[in-house]
Amino acid sequence: MKYSNPEIPEGINTSKQHPLKEFVLLTGGVISIIAIAVLLLGLLADRLAHYIPFEIETQMAEGRLPEVIEDGPMQSYLDDLTQRIVAVQAFPPDMQVTVHYLDNETVNAFATLGGNVFMFRGLLEKLPNENAVAMVLAHEIAHIKHRHPVRSMGRGIAIALALTMVSTSLGDVMVDRIVGNTGSLTALTFSRDQEREADATALDSLMNLYGHVGGADDLFKTLKNEAGMLEMPEFFSTHPISENRINRIHVFSEESTTPDKEAVITPLPVGFAQWLNVVDDEGVY
Amino acid sequence: MVDLIVFITLLALGYGFGRYAETRHYKSIIAREKELQNIPVIASKFLPVRDKPSDAALVSGSVVISVDYFKRFLAGLRNLVGGRVTSYETLVDRARREAILRMKEEAKALGAHMVFNVKLETSSIHKGRRNAVGSVEVLAYGTALTKHR
Repeated sequence: MKYSNPEIPEGINTSKQHPLKEFVLLTGGVISIIAIAVLLLGLLADRLAHYIPFEIETQMAEGRLPEVIEDGPMQSYLDDLTQRIVAVQAFPPDMQVTVHYLDNETVNAFATLGGNVFMFRGLLEKLPNENAVAMVLAHEIAHIKHRHPVRSMGRGIAIALALTMVSTSLGDVMVDRIVGNTGSLTALTFSRDQEREADATALDSLMNLYGHVGGADDLFKTLKNEAGMLEMPEFFSTHPISENRINRIHVFSEESTTPDKEAVITPLPVGFAQWLNVVDDEGVY
Repeated sequence: MVDLIVFITLLALGYGFGRYAETRHYKSIIAREKELQNIPVIASKFLPVRDKPSDAALVSGSVVISVDYFKRFLAGLRNLVGGRVTSYETLVDRARREAILRMKEEAKALGAHMVFNVKLETSSIHKGRRNAVGSVEVLAYGTALTKHR
């Protein structure tokens, strides 16, 4: 009996397909499936969140908001401006907006559950005129009018739940991360759409209040300077980039105002600079 | 953003080095297989009866090969959709052939003319976080037959 090992041709136990081709196919496929799933889920949750009554939203917000000092000239000035904006934005009767002034250097303002709007000293300090302040307020109030906080929350919960279910069934940390990042990047496009919607409503309000939208772009110029070279590409960001927002204001302005009418910028009220500090130097109210 | 850059760098490193190591390894495997072809490796349990009496000795060869980052990532994605985990196929193929080769080299050193009753054992070492396979070990062993002089 003769024993021998014939030479076996290569490629019987391995695949001939190039690994890079498989990589492209797999990542492309998985990413697009996740993106589609997140978009669909998001849309669905977004639609449904609309039906959550405003009262429940208010209850959810209770006890979770930052503590703020509720009086002072700045607070009443913002209250007054808020009332004027709410009036022009035609709010449904069951919704209320509460504005809060936060003595904090963060350059920001935000709207959250229960119709609460927070304005930070850091941002107000940098705004040159009332129109810019009104733009910020109107933008945040518009978020509330469109029920963005509760919609974002509903969407966030739905997407996070779904992604957690998918990723815990996987074995690899990096794949988890890909799944997570694709999900959050897709979710950001919603958030950018909301910002655009809020910008558009805010511009309408300013148009109704002042008859022009002059000064509104000062807000975004301020934000742009603040971000400097660090501004993220739009794809990775929650907000549209400032440049694009300024351009949209200019387009809106050209379409809606009559050219012969001069845009009169409303200055900030006298004493605004002092109002910024709720607590004076001695630490007394 | 930083995550993404780190991730792409790791993938590229994994791909580059993994690919380089694999091509080199295959070249060496093919060359050595040709060289050791005169020592047949047989899976049969029963020794050739009609042969002249020969000495028997246990020979073994083992190898551990690690998965690279790129392969692991591909396999992870594969987990989602199913199908052949092609990225691990070459890995296990290389490990098996290398283990057999090392066993044959031992047999050659003994002056054996064939290796009988060859068996292969595969195990994965370092089941890391969430059972991700880190590296694969293959052990080949058999009975080397040396002619009486």
